[in-house]
Amino acid sequence: MDVIGASFHNRFVSDSKGKEPDVLFVGDSLVQLLHEFEVWRKLFSPLHALNFGVSGDATQHVLWRLINGELDYISPKVVVLWVGTNNHGHTPEQICGGIMAIINVIHQKLPHAHTLVLGLLPRGKNPNPLRERNASVNALVQAEVVSLSHVSFLDVDPGFIHSDGSILHQDMYDYLHLTQQAYQRVCQPLYERIKSLLDKQAP
Amino acid sequence: MSAEENPAAEPAPVIDVQGDGRWMSQHNRFVQECKDAEPDVLFVGDSMVQLMQQYEVWRELFSPLHALNFGVGGDTTCNVLWRLQNGELDNIRPRVVVLWVGTNNHEHTADQVAGGILAIVQLLLSRLPKCKIIVLGLLPRGEFPNPLREKNAAVNNLLRTSLPQLGPVQLIDVGGGFVHSDGTISSRDMFDFLHLTASAYRTISTSLHELLLQLLEETPQERRASLV
Repeated sequence: MDVIGASFHNRFVSDSKGKEPDVLFVGDSLVQLLHEFEVWRKLFSPLHALNFGVSGDATQHVLWRLINGELDYISPKVVVLWVGTNNHGHTPEQICGGIMAIINVIHQKLPHAHTLVLGLLPRGKNPNPLRERNASVNALVQAEVVSLSHVSFLDVDPGFIHSDGSILHQDMYDYLHLTQQAYQRVCQPLYERIKSLLDKQAP
Repeated sequence: MSAEENPAAEPAPVIDVQGDGRWMSQHNRFVQECKDAEPDVLFVGDSMVQLMQQYEVWRELFSPLHALNFGVGGDTTCNVLWRLQNGELDNIRPRVVVLWVGTNNHEHTADQVAGGILAIVQLLLSRLPKCKIIVLGLLPRGEFPNPLREKNAAVNNLLRTSLPQLGPVQLIDVGGGFVHSDGTISSRDMFDFLHLTASAYRTISTSLHELLLQLLEETPQERRASLV
């Protein structure tokens, strides 16, 4: 893990010692950047959420972080997991395997938490192999978790792909990362789902 | 240093290795924007430029100046040079160009990076003879002191004296204040110790905005007839 990665990891571990989050977001830049926009303050801060997103992370990086301290001092009720789009060179089966490995670690360390896995979004301006790969990952993960009571899958794509197959830069300014307006569309249903999971778990 | 000697001054597109062609899609969009828009200000560079447009501050301070944003995450001086030579300066006559690039030039020395930035400035001056240029200094990066901070500072030092010699070009260093007395950078300013938060963009934008207003006032608008 490089120097920048170490900085995040150490800060996340030490952050977690002081806080008692009900919700933990973990994943890649789609998670990390969410923290920088107004939507985080409006919807997720009030839920006592922590953000452990690291730009560029693939499943193996997230797995490492969670095994090595980031879950050790907290007991969130819901863990939102959003990772996989950066797993370049891996097959959909491998990426699904990586996501399942993360889910298992979360369950081991936090037996009472519910993991909400978010579907990978389409990417690129026009149809391309990565869209197919991400869609395959989603189908595989969805099938794997359907029988697990402590996990659920949520497809957060509000319909980014238009009828001509294109994604607009008004939604993804670089055809991968979300604009503020796109985050609003993704986060409203996400918020509703998290709230209902928290309500189910309330003592 | 000529282009043959300086790899940072060699124009080069980003090759799509991931499979979704995003870099070229962004470039093509910018070329199209040049056909539709008449910007007074052009921002060009890497993610430091691109991300600025995602925050409120862009709409409040820079959109009203009729600014276009041609930032692409990950770009080096080579990539920006290629983009500007391949359509991103066609059909537009911005009065001011804001250039912010260099922090991603990992294969190059400080001397080479400065040379790459100078090459971009020379291209801008030759294509846009009446325009003024603001080069933003490279920011410190990383949570703790590290070699990239030294390298970026060295690039800025090299540019400070060499830029004004090329023409109406100046270096603005907006990095002061990010490094605390203990040598650390806070994640409240750079959420990943590289990219700026909304509040940090606000801090650096005030002086940049004032400078832009000043330069725009000094640079008369070209009348449409003279563009033919």
